[in-house]
Amino acid sequence: MTGLILKKELKELFRTSKVMWMLGGIIVLMALALYNGTSYYQTHSHLIRESQQVTYQQFISQGDKNPHLGAHFGFYAYKPTADMAMIENGIEDYTGNSFYLEPHKRGVVRFKEISDATGLRSFGFLNIGFFTEFILPLFIFLICHNIFSKEWENGTIKMLLSSKANPRQIFMGKLFACLSLVMGIVVLIAAASFILFISETETVGFISRVLPAYACYLAGLILFSTMMTTIGVSVSLLTRTANLSLIILSGFWLIGVFLLPRLAGELSKNIHPSTTSLEFENNTFNEKQYGVGDEGHKDVRREALLQRTMAQYQVKRIEDLPVFFIPITIEFFEDSDGQVMDRAYQAVDDNEAKQDRLVLNSAWLTPFLAFRDFSMRITATDMKTHNDFASKAEAHRRKIGVIVDDFYQKNTVAGNAFWKTVPQFSYTAPGIGWRISNATDSIFILLGWTVFATGLMVYAYRKMTV
Amino acid sequence: MRLPLINILFRHELKILSRNRVLLSLSALIIFILVSALWIGSSMLRKQEQTIIKISQSEKESLDSLKTRIKRIEAHQMVYPGFIWDDPTFAYNTARNEGPNYAVKKPFPLQVLSIGQSDVQPFYYKVYINKKQYLTYESEIENSFLQFIGNFDFAFVVIYLFPLLIIVFSYNVLSAEKEQGTWVLLKTSNQSIAQMMICRMGIRYLLFTSFFWLIVIPVLMITIGGDALFTVNWTWIMAEVSLYFAFWFALALLVNSFSMTSNVNAMVLIFIWLFTGIIIPNLLQIGLNKVYPIPSRIDMLTAERDAINAYFEKDGQDLTKEVFSSPKSMIRQASVVTPGMVYGYGVIVYKSQEIKDQATAVAEEKLYGQIRKQQEGIRQLQLLSPALMMQERLSALAGSHWYQFNQFSMDTDRFRKKTQEFYYPKMADENTYRTFSIADADAIPKFNAKDYHDFSWLKIWQSFLIYLGIIILLLVSGYRRLLEARK
Repeated sequence: MTGLILKKELKELFRTSKVMWMLGGIIVLMALALYNGTSYYQTHSHLIRESQQVTYQQFISQGDKNPHLGAHFGFYAYKPTADMAMIENGIEDYTGNSFYLEPHKRGVVRFKEISDATGLRSFGFLNIGFFTEFILPLFIFLICHNIFSKEWENGTIKMLLSSKANPRQIFMGKLFACLSLVMGIVVLIAAASFILFISETETVGFISRVLPAYACYLAGLILFSTMMTTIGVSVSLLTRTANLSLIILSGFWLIGVFLLPRLAGELSKNIHPSTTSLEFENNTFNEKQYGVGDEGHKDVRREALLQRTMAQYQVKRIEDLPVFFIPITIEFFEDSDGQVMDRAYQAVDDNEAKQDRLVLNSAWLTPFLAFRDFSMRITATDMKTHNDFASKAEAHRRKIGVIVDDFYQKNTVAGNAFWKTVPQFSYTAPGIGWRISNATDSIFILLGWTVFATGLMVYAYRKMTV
Repeated sequence: MRLPLINILFRHELKILSRNRVLLSLSALIIFILVSALWIGSSMLRKQEQTIIKISQSEKESLDSLKTRIKRIEAHQMVYPGFIWDDPTFAYNTARNEGPNYAVKKPFPLQVLSIGQSDVQPFYYKVYINKKQYLTYESEIENSFLQFIGNFDFAFVVIYLFPLLIIVFSYNVLSAEKEQGTWVLLKTSNQSIAQMMICRMGIRYLLFTSFFWLIVIPVLMITIGGDALFTVNWTWIMAEVSLYFAFWFALALLVNSFSMTSNVNAMVLIFIWLFTGIIIPNLLQIGLNKVYPIPSRIDMLTAERDAINAYFEKDGQDLTKEVFSSPKSMIRQASVVTPGMVYGYGVIVYKSQEIKDQATAVAEEKLYGQIRKQQEGIRQLQLLSPALMMQERLSALAGSHWYQFNQFSMDTDRFRKKTQEFYYPKMADENTYRTFSIADADAIPKFNAKDYHDFSWLKIWQSFLIYLGIIILLLVSGYRRLLEARK
């Protein structure tokens, strides 16, 4: 019986011109999203790969220089474009991708693309992520909003209820009809993305790296789309008028997609205000210069270091040291200043984590946000992956500092032979296990919403009476 | 149409709207949203103002500290007891330590209405002689995830939410008459249906817009004071926002005139909202990025680093050797920093910086040139999307548009050059490299802060009139179709 209803509904949907127009539009948009995402990935990944080689090449061919001066020339650690940026680029353009590796200066990831974008960017970036998080839910609601209400408005509900089918079968038939359309689009997305992934041949081992995350992403997308369809069909049944159903569903979409996330974002900024660059700079400068607690002024610490070093080498004058003192000083302050900067950046990261948590908690009120968060974490285009990159780049910077300072203690000129001993930087985003554990909260919220949608569905079909 | 009839229609509309529970709940929600958006905008403005106060305090403290230290050294026969790199009588040290001043873009009070580019562009820079500000700063310490989510400001509420509310207000003006069975009555009336529909839509527009400004103006008076409301920018904001609402009402009238069901009307209007508000801007973004791709700042870095490597192959190499191998500077140069070494470092830094600035000029022009071209493209094509047009207008009138931040960035660059011109002669000459005095400290260039609220580049009259024309066209088309409505 459910099958019969499903067939009848599908026939009706395909014979409705507005549904066909919508389907046509949605497929065109999906194609554009795929094109735009692919083009983004290709341009960015190529630039980053090439720039990583160029910057290192510039560093190792800088010629004879004072080791410290040469180390200041440094090179950049570029964050590679995420493998799945073709379908979801998350916050990639908002975090920056360039980390300067130079001595005694804690690196900061720079060059947020958003700084050079026009106002158009605030309207979003059309890729599969944007399509599935913003446009697809609205399409689902437009398809489903009158799937039941039309029966009341056309007066056919009595006929339907007097048939052999029970309310559950009627509901399931209509739900599966809508789901068939929605899943058709999901399958198209899956197939097209897969073709794009396998056609990416520039990166070694790309497809084996992408597949597990891609499978998780698709599972999440199927769950999200099913949930949205269930909510849409249930609301259509409960409201019994197409107009009210449309207003409620589009209001839910608008509030969930635009309003609540932004409102939660502003709330989190006010509850956990960020420090300003000015305060950050002044505080870290003071801590480095005047010391923390009873550490004392930098001059005092430098003098103490000199005394310790002279005692270690059993000499009475700096000039008699068998090693150069400046690199020892640099290494010493790299360590103590590094601790100051680590604390300061950790405080910024902790505050941002609190802000993010508050926003994510608001996803209990909007499944759209939960899915967006899930999508970014699984595709490694989220803040935590970015912080992972930044910490690995900083560790590499310190490693280079130690290599150069050790060399500088005995040499005053470094040539290309030495520069080549400094290792190149490379970064790969963590694997699928890490990403899933990183996305636990959003998965949990999505499951919570699934329970809600199921409950709403049961409640709705029990109310199916004339 | 006679005045008494308009009066009757006005009362009729008021009654209908006030009895519609959905509309009343939506209006309550909108008041809450609007007040929240204005409060959020004003709290951002206050935060910026507080930061600017802290900046001037910080500058004053730095200058006082600098002068005190110089005085102490002068009183001790120019002997500095601390670390040589902190000795302020070296111009190079001062240029790195207490010397750099801030360039500040004062926030324009109407910025509370549109955050625009304020969250992604810096409103202050610490200007160093050796760091190009765009390679050093990007913006305040902001959570990237929150930037990605977007701001909740007045502009967002007006651009995204209000058109949907207008749709709810107006999608069934005609179709409801048919669905409720009052259409036949209307047809038998001796009044023109077309005129009545236009009048009803006009009344709804007036009620809606007046209600809107009645909330916004008092809240603004409380949060930013009345002065900003007597500026040309504010007058234009009122005109543009009212025109934007008029566009959506006129469009709803046209859609109504096709005599479709309320449900189809609502779907068509929502589709137009989605298409013009999200899809067209995205398509424009794809198109403009294809035609005028914006190069990455990485290109500037690469150019800068290539130039430095080339410089150090010959001239830089000689200079470095001179500095690090000179008998003046070399007493075990990797153990003791000598005055000659500090001076030499300063010379290397300034020579390198000159090379870097020259090298990046081309890449910089390419980057900003492409952004300018994209902006020009947006200016020409914004008529395709009322939402985009509104966003561009609001941010320009609020002083938070890219153009205004770019203007600030260029002024900052000029200020940086002025600062370089101040320090370089003092760093580059062996006779002057350790003579930085209190008089010099007082003469360190300062930035003239302003709020960049000029919008003359916008050609606002031109597009205002074009949009007015479009609205009139929509109204006339709707009216003509309604004249033929007989079914």
